[in-house]
Amino acid sequence: MPEEQPQQQAPQQQMSEEQVKALQEKIKNMSPEELKEFQKKQCIFCQIISGKVQSKKIYEDEEVIAILDVNPANPGHILIMPKEHYSIMPQIPDDEIGHIFMVAKSLSNASLRALEVQGSNIIVANGVAAGQRAQHFMVHLIPRKEKDNIGFQVPQKTLPEDELKKIAKVLSESLGKKEEEAEENLPPVPAIPKEKKVVEAEFEEPKKKKVVKETKKKKVVEEKNKGQKDKSNEKKQEGINLDDIAKVLGGN
Amino acid sequence: MVQKARESCLICQIVANRVPSYKIYEDNLILAVLDVNGANPGHCFIIPKNHYPIIEQVPDAELANLFVVANKISSSIFENLKVQGTNIFVANGIPAGQTVAHFLINIIPRQENDGINLEWKPKQLTEEEMSTVELKLKESIQNIGVGKIENIEKPKTIPENVEPQQTQPISDDDEEDYIAKQMRRVP
Repeated sequence: MPEEQPQQQAPQQQMSEEQVKALQEKIKNMSPEELKEFQKKQCIFCQIISGKVQSKKIYEDEEVIAILDVNPANPGHILIMPKEHYSIMPQIPDDEIGHIFMVAKSLSNASLRALEVQGSNIIVANGVAAGQRAQHFMVHLIPRKEKDNIGFQVPQKTLPEDELKKIAKVLSESLGKKEEEAEENLPPVPAIPKEKKVVEAEFEEPKKKKVVKETKKKKVVEEKNKGQKDKSNEKKQEGINLDDIAKVLGGN
Repeated sequence: MVQKARESCLICQIVANRVPSYKIYEDNLILAVLDVNGANPGHCFIIPKNHYPIIEQVPDAELANLFVVANKISSSIFENLKVQGTNIFVANGIPAGQTVAHFLINIIPRQENDGINLEWKPKQLTEEEMSTVELKLKESIQNIGVGKIENIEKPKTIPENVEPQQTQPISDDDEEDYIAKQMRRVP
């Protein structure tokens, strides 16, 4: 809990370096509630959520809102946000995280059906280095088509085995695994196949459109877990068929 | 619990322990492993143990837990690997960059100027195009609906010393087999 009382400061004014430091110090010492209040006041997305700023709302419920991005990577680029102001993901309670991504899944499904796209990316940026620009946590849902000129690049690097081991140990311990299973002498681990080191929508050759439309015995995923139902699966019959999308995965 | 392991799905083989991996987290429905050819040290995959090719097929409760775990692992990466950020990245469908027919979540640790690009140039849409998209999506999501979870069932940790072989390979049926076979061809 904070020992210092954060005093009001006008953020609009140019601040000297010292003032900035003082402000940062104060922010660091704020309780989560104070911090949230402080950030909320300056958050454009909170104003969108409260309706003070206009937006194209696609979906809304008690916890979550989804709007069109005004600077979309592709048509139908959606921002999914918790209504509550969280600037970073670790602040968000588990049930809200779960709900936010359930909304993302349903919206992905919705865009596959409505926009004639063949895929989607879900992206979260945590931290400036990761591309986070807003002070309000959000999930990007970007509908994807072939050749849509989005050049995401996720290069592959090769790490020495001992570094991988070290990282695996550190992370698994921090995530609750006990020391014991010292991963000595692990056999070489095969890599998950990736598109030639770049994840992007460019394909050298016009893909043989073997989307095998003659759905061979469509298999609806039954075997749902206990009582819980998957609504999106039930609606499979309309328009597009998710199995087709899944199937095209094989077409690479 | 874990009903389906596809003989020919690499991810299912990892889940079933038939292919070695650097595990960092495991519970009854979820596995997280390091990507051995990660974009940065600590790049990992969060994987549902059940075989679902794309996100739309993952049941809500499992999906919710997958991202809860992703959040925890992302935090752990922040704390333990001294990175400046993380991306949570899902590629759903081939145009989105998906390369294995088993849904997974990437967590990519980030540093400034690390050669990774997950940003985009904004496309200019007319007001009319935006409105059309808005209407289409609104209608579509209304038809589909969003699930609600009253109580997220907490993942159960796997007791030590229990063989992780709850997976029983099932004979791949024709359609899934098709996917899987094709996937194997990916270099």
